[in-house]
Amino acid sequence: MSESLIKVTDLKKHYNKGKIKALDGISVDINRGDVMVIIGPSGSGKSTFLRSLNLMEQPTSGQIIFDGVDITAKKIRNEAGKMVTLDIDKHRQKMGMVFQHFNLFPHMTILQNMTLAPIQVKHMDKAVAEEKAMKLLDRVGLADRAAAYPIQLSGGQKQRVAIVRALMMEPEVMLFDEPTSALDPEMVGEVLDVMRELANEGMTMVVVTHEMGFAKEVGNRVLFMADGLLVEEGTPDDIFNHPQNARLKEFLSKVLI
Amino acid sequence: MFSAQGFQATWKYIDLFKQGLLCTVLLSALTVFFGFILALFLAIMRLSDVRPFRALGIDENGHAIDGGFKAALAKFNPLDFIATVYVEVFRATPMLVQLFIIYYVVFPGIPLPKFKIFGSIPFDRFIPGVVALAMNSGAYLCEIIRAGIQSIDGGQREAARSLGMTGTQTMRHIILPQAIKNILPPIANEFVTIIKESSICYTIGVQEIMYAVAATKGATYRIAEPLIIATLIYFCLTFPTSKIIAYFERKMSKGDKR
Repeated sequence: MSESLIKVTDLKKHYNKGKIKALDGISVDINRGDVMVIIGPSGSGKSTFLRSLNLMEQPTSGQIIFDGVDITAKKIRNEAGKMVTLDIDKHRQKMGMVFQHFNLFPHMTILQNMTLAPIQVKHMDKAVAEEKAMKLLDRVGLADRAAAYPIQLSGGQKQRVAIVRALMMEPEVMLFDEPTSALDPEMVGEVLDVMRELANEGMTMVVVTHEMGFAKEVGNRVLFMADGLLVEEGTPDDIFNHPQNARLKEFLSKVLI
Repeated sequence: MFSAQGFQATWKYIDLFKQGLLCTVLLSALTVFFGFILALFLAIMRLSDVRPFRALGIDENGHAIDGGFKAALAKFNPLDFIATVYVEVFRATPMLVQLFIIYYVVFPGIPLPKFKIFGSIPFDRFIPGVVALAMNSGAYLCEIIRAGIQSIDGGQREAARSLGMTGTQTMRHIILPQAIKNILPPIANEFVTIIKESSICYTIGVQEIMYAVAATKGATYRIAEPLIIATLIYFCLTFPTSKIIAYFERKMSKGDKR
């Protein structure tokens, strides 16, 4: 089938000398073009798993191979065959991340928020970066807010900016950490629309969410996690219409779909 | 208490106050400059992550050891320790004691050239004064800077790092611009405090404003009028300082308003 982009093997994250197991051995293959939705009760380790993928959390053990490189290793072999220190910043550029609380930079305008990393990290020309930013802003209907500061935007607008800010780096995968959980109900739709569009364009996405409707409609794979374990995995139809595990059945009976 | 004659008599010595003003400004400016540099170094030490015994805190399975002597040793950061001790000692002892120790104990061992800055400020008294004030305010400014940097929401750092920015780029473009805005009011406070505290250098014979008061008192037997003049001069120094910083504060807070 499709080519693997992120291969996770036996990923563990323990706290307090292993007394708390946030992740207790997760193995999963994320392929290019996948829209993988992770669901599960709070405290199940969904966010920890997502945040481990770009090493925002340092896993206790296990392996994450992203684009052929083991990013959990401290040293890797470069093209010339020499052992060099892994530059995690290089790999993070290719993994866009969207946060629950948007995390826009409040001291910069929307345009500056979007162009800062391309200019600083990719040494993109300022004019080129701004043109690119305006095109992306136009796509999410916010071109007229380019000169505004984040505080002047609504929650939904902030999150749309956060998504296109991550897209500025042209990532190979987008990680969404509960992107609609901090939004007022009437603003959830506008953010999900942008995500749906992104999925239709073939972007690889890993989404932690409580939006079961989105998981059903947009996801091609759904993961159910509980107590740091990957309990059940399948297509949206498998998970929502033919759940096997008792934990999953109980979870689904409690959430509104 | 006050009299026109008293002011007239004091006015004859107004040159002393002019010299004193110059000295106080110079003393405060140098203190702010060196105190701030010292504070930056102290703050970097306090925020550093230098742990030479880090390896002791991990067991054979790669898990962090919880509690015990080894875990404590693994967390030990010598730079942070030194800076913390420095800050606590300087904040917990009187400024006058620090000044006397530096002037009477430390500096006699360091030969300084005996000349007068601008013909009125004795260099070998002025320098110990600057050193004592800078070392004292460095401790306070360090805590202001450290608290300002730590007050920035962790999500800001995460967002910047997730875009591929390095730790240094994140500090420079994301954390510091926001932190500086937060720490400006307490820093303004500290600058004003330095101007006022510099009067303590009168006790080691630095000819600043309070020295002019004492000299005028000795010559004219008037005390109220010289003190009034000194009060006015101090107020004219500190009030604009806090106003200027308040202006920059307003200019920098444009992202906060709708």
